[in-house]
Amino acid sequence: MEEKIKLSPDSFEALPKAEELDNEKIAAPSLTFVQDAWRRLKMNKGAFISLWIIVLMIVVAFGSSFFIDHASLVKSAPNYANLPAKIPGVPINGFNGKLKVSGEWVDEYKQNNIPSGKYFVLGTDYLGRSLAERIIYGTKVSLIVALVATFFDLTIGVAYGIISGWKGGRVDNVMQRIIEIISSVPSLVIVVLMLLVLKPGMTSIIAAIAISSWTTMARMIRAETLQLKSQEYVLAARSLGESAPKIAWKHLVPNLSSIIIIQTMYTIPTAIFFEAFLSFIGIGISAPETSLGVLLNDGQKNFQFLPYQMWYPAIVLCVLMIAFNLLGDGLRDAFDPKTRR
Amino acid sequence: MKINKFAKLGTVVALSSLFLVACGSKSSSTASKQVLNWNETAELPTMDLSTATDVVSFDTLNNTNEGLYRLGKDSKIEPGIATKTQVSSDGMKYTFTLRKNAKWSNGQKVTAKDFVYSWQRTVNPKTASQYAYLFSGIANADDIMNGKKAVSTLGIKAEGNYKLVVTLDKKLPYFKLLMGFPVFFPQNEKAVKEYGSKYGTASKYMVYNGPFKLTKWTGSNLSWTLKKNNNYWDKKDVKLSAINFKVNKSTTTSYNLYQSGKLDETTLSAEQAKQLANSKELVTRKGASTFYLEYNQTKKEYQNANIRKAISLVIDRKQFVNKVLGDGSTVAKGLASTGLAKLNGEDFASAASVKSAVATNRAEAKKLWAKGLKELGVTSLNIQLLSDDTDKAKDSTTFLQSQIEENLSGAKVSVSNVPFKTRLARSESGDFGIVVTGWGADFSDPISFLDLFTSDNSQNNGKWKNAEYDKLIEASKTTDAGNTTKRWNDLVKAQKILLNDQGISPLYQQATATLVKSKVKGVIYNAAGVNYNFKNTYIAK
Amino acid sequence: MRKYLLKRVFYMLLTLFLVATITFFLMKLMPGTPYSNQEKMTPQQIKIMNEQYGLNKPVWLQYLIYLGGMLHGDLGTSFQYSNQPVSYLISSRIGASAQLGLQAMIFGVLVGIIIGSFAAINRNTWIDTLCTVLSIIGKSVPNFVLAVLLQFYIALKLGWFPIADWGGFSYTVLPTIALGVGPLAETARFIRTGMVDVLSSDYIELARAKGLTKFGIVYHHALRNSLIPLVTLIGPYTVALMTGSMVIENIFSIPGIGEQFVKSITTNDYPTIMGVTMLFSAGLVVVILLTDIVYGIIDPRIRLSGNGD
Repeated sequence: MEEKIKLSPDSFEALPKAEELDNEKIAAPSLTFVQDAWRRLKMNKGAFISLWIIVLMIVVAFGSSFFIDHASLVKSAPNYANLPAKIPGVPINGFNGKLKVSGEWVDEYKQNNIPSGKYFVLGTDYLGRSLAERIIYGTKVSLIVALVATFFDLTIGVAYGIISGWKGGRVDNVMQRIIEIISSVPSLVIVVLMLLVLKPGMTSIIAAIAISSWTTMARMIRAETLQLKSQEYVLAARSLGESAPKIAWKHLVPNLSSIIIIQTMYTIPTAIFFEAFLSFIGIGISAPETSLGVLLNDGQKNFQFLPYQMWYPAIVLCVLMIAFNLLGDGLRDAFDPKTRR
Repeated sequence: MKINKFAKLGTVVALSSLFLVACGSKSSSTASKQVLNWNETAELPTMDLSTATDVVSFDTLNNTNEGLYRLGKDSKIEPGIATKTQVSSDGMKYTFTLRKNAKWSNGQKVTAKDFVYSWQRTVNPKTASQYAYLFSGIANADDIMNGKKAVSTLGIKAEGNYKLVVTLDKKLPYFKLLMGFPVFFPQNEKAVKEYGSKYGTASKYMVYNGPFKLTKWTGSNLSWTLKKNNNYWDKKDVKLSAINFKVNKSTTTSYNLYQSGKLDETTLSAEQAKQLANSKELVTRKGASTFYLEYNQTKKEYQNANIRKAISLVIDRKQFVNKVLGDGSTVAKGLASTGLAKLNGEDFASAASVKSAVATNRAEAKKLWAKGLKELGVTSLNIQLLSDDTDKAKDSTTFLQSQIEENLSGAKVSVSNVPFKTRLARSESGDFGIVVTGWGADFSDPISFLDLFTSDNSQNNGKWKNAEYDKLIEASKTTDAGNTTKRWNDLVKAQKILLNDQGISPLYQQATATLVKSKVKGVIYNAAGVNYNFKNTYIAK
Repeated sequence: MRKYLLKRVFYMLLTLFLVATITFFLMKLMPGTPYSNQEKMTPQQIKIMNEQYGLNKPVWLQYLIYLGGMLHGDLGTSFQYSNQPVSYLISSRIGASAQLGLQAMIFGVLVGIIIGSFAAINRNTWIDTLCTVLSIIGKSVPNFVLAVLLQFYIALKLGWFPIADWGGFSYTVLPTIALGVGPLAETARFIRTGMVDVLSSDYIELARAKGLTKFGIVYHHALRNSLIPLVTLIGPYTVALMTGSMVIENIFSIPGIGEQFVKSITTNDYPTIMGVTMLFSAGLVVVILLTDIVYGIIDPRIRLSGNGD
């Protein structure tokens, strides 16, 4: 063991200065939090396709405002009432103007003496209005209702939940009692009162949603916050003197993102269904406007005879909901620090 | 009466069905087949005839109890508890002789005192009967209702057990018809006292003197059964052993049940009726109610007759009833519904109809509209259309909105469909432009409708006024009350004035489409007053 | 703990009192009168009736009278059903709704947990996607549509279950499914999310390293921790379901409270509105208290304390 390795300065070779720096360089461009999330979202195929579906639906629904206005909605043609879908050149039963009447396919267009050039891609409703047009418009209305509800969920609901959970003690106590009260007063009473003050329609529905929709979100957020605030990293941030709003924004919100996103995904259908329920009892959106809920409710009543009137809006709603949810999953994976692996 | 019932499609008619066919299986094999399964669209809220207000209650009361008369087919008067009736020459005093074999289900006899007790109970303001107004015309009834006279002064007296004397304040040409309405049925004092506040709140807290007895009703449940009453004086004519009623609020559900054979009858929604138009089992029940547009004449724009006429002329009523409503409703001829009353074979609705009031003439409408706008000095008009929140009301307003906006340039229609109570409150406070509303007759006489539009009637929400109209209605009740022809002419003239001025625009006479299994025979349906009478109903083999 | 409970019970009563107050005054703002035949009544009659029902008194006095009655357990008399005490109306109707709501909740939560766990374990496989899509569809079809479909295909066409009505257990199957799909979908999604989080945490790695079976890991560690957000949700959801769903009750002709309640609001049946609201509210506050207590049991990190922080 006497043998010693002799190291002499010659054994080492200094690198050129420039190369030294290069080795430390990060090849990839540095990404902000949002850029990173976007990158990961793009990797999730389902979420990415969903994103495009939603964009497409929003563009179609809101873009239609230029074509489908009050005047075209109000037009009725009872002579064309309850015609099934007909797409020229598609000889499939169900899309060729035929309807199953007591077990047999009957050409409704012929039966009702509809001029040969006239056809409706998705059929018509009881007043002879194009169902396709009404579904597009209904999607727009339902999207607005959903977005408004989401907005209140994300602002009031999240903020309320975090404050309540974070502050704890008396503040929490009072805030929770307020939520209990708000969720106890029947929202239908509020809607009926709104009908008195405002005209039936969007405004009263939105007002009722604004008052009551955010409470579930607030309760869920509070529960999670209670748990999170005793975590080490929050404690660390606290002892480092970070301000409460900053902790909330930097630490709590990202960690709450899965709850926020899933809950939002449920707020959307809940809001759409609340509107549908109002039309079920007759005080929903007012004519000639329509919504997916109204269309579903109308279709449901005629399901035995005119099933297409229920299926089409139901399919649109399902596609919309699936897209929203897959996108929500993708967003969650992209934003939630816990799933970053 | 009960606009409520007509306005609420769902509650309109009692449909009921019977869910459990097995219910009658206990009785003998032939009798067990005589079970009817009937669909009902709303719950039975009460069996206390003094406080009942809805169709289901009145229908049930009519089949489980009996008054002086029973209304048969086409509102024909058939014998009930009264065997003989004498009317004084001035028509102000009725003397009824009662049958001695009528019994309550608690074993007591039905006597004249039961009638006196029942009537006094109903008009007593403390009972808070919402149908007490029908007593108006019977001596002192109005004063008693207003708390000015004692209940005992009511013009009804029992002379012994089997003679009943009724005195009137004014002549009531439709008095006998009223006697077939449950509010005028007798009540057993012992039962009312015994059950106290529970009286009429469940089948066991009630006594019956009619063809059937009510069973299995707990006060709030969704099914009940009428069982043949073996104490009934005419039980040999009652063929059904039981009628099972089942409440189904969704017509989709009741139609499914009907198809599966669990129900013998079901009410149809408009769409169902349209699709089943060719069914052999389709039965259209014509109601005695008319729906019309009432204009708010406290507003300048609706005081203008040209505007009103233009709006009326623009509506294609045929298309409306056939394509939109589709349930057998017919175009209204005027305010009073068809089939209410006849004179010399002519129906009142035809005699008093004004063609132009329910016609469609778009060219003329446009002219009148332009003229009306000019007179008002405006180029466009916002029309607030108010109605109920039922499916039918919504379909109606949607259709009207499209008809008006498409054909009258400058018309902008905003629609409000609100719950019934809200609509009433708004109508009363004048918070509307045009309201789509309906009225149903309580008894088969045009006055039931025409009374609405006298200038002092509290229900005249549109505030349409016409001095001559008021005079004619007044005359029909006073000077001409005794003279059938004169009275008739007064009423015909009055309705024509109303229609010519387009004080209202009649739309349709309501009907309800139902399916009834063809084996069910002898169901009596009357449009005015009580709808269903099952006394002579039977199941054909 | 005892002090904490006492305090919470006090708050519950306070909440109920506030709910009663707010609902009462809001309700009085609603248009119209409770009389069903008011257009046929003379003004004098309306006056007499208002006196009878005490509706002519100033609203604050009516309010005090109502509160007084409530303390004695008297919820007043219904207007829709003459002479029927509201307490009877509610007690005769709540049974069906409660049974259905509870069944739907149990069905939804149990099946939801299974589907959710299954999806999480097989994360990012086709099984996961299938579970996700199924539960989303469950949540995106309104229950009245589902009810109509079930009734038509399962009951009428296949004849497996009764079409409508209320009787034995078989009558409850279809409505339970229609009502339970919503909670099922939500449970599945929450469980999946929570479990995905938990399954990727260190203590699960440890458990795995210790050689625990997959089932053991999921059951003992993952599930328990994923249940927490769910508990917050389940309580109020159950109360909401148990107090009735007008839509489902209408379609399946079930004698429940949901339809009564909606009708009482649109017909100004004041005592019934109040009665059902108070019942719902009481259920809600109790459930929220229970939820808070359950938290402490399933999550040791949260301490119950009477003095706040």
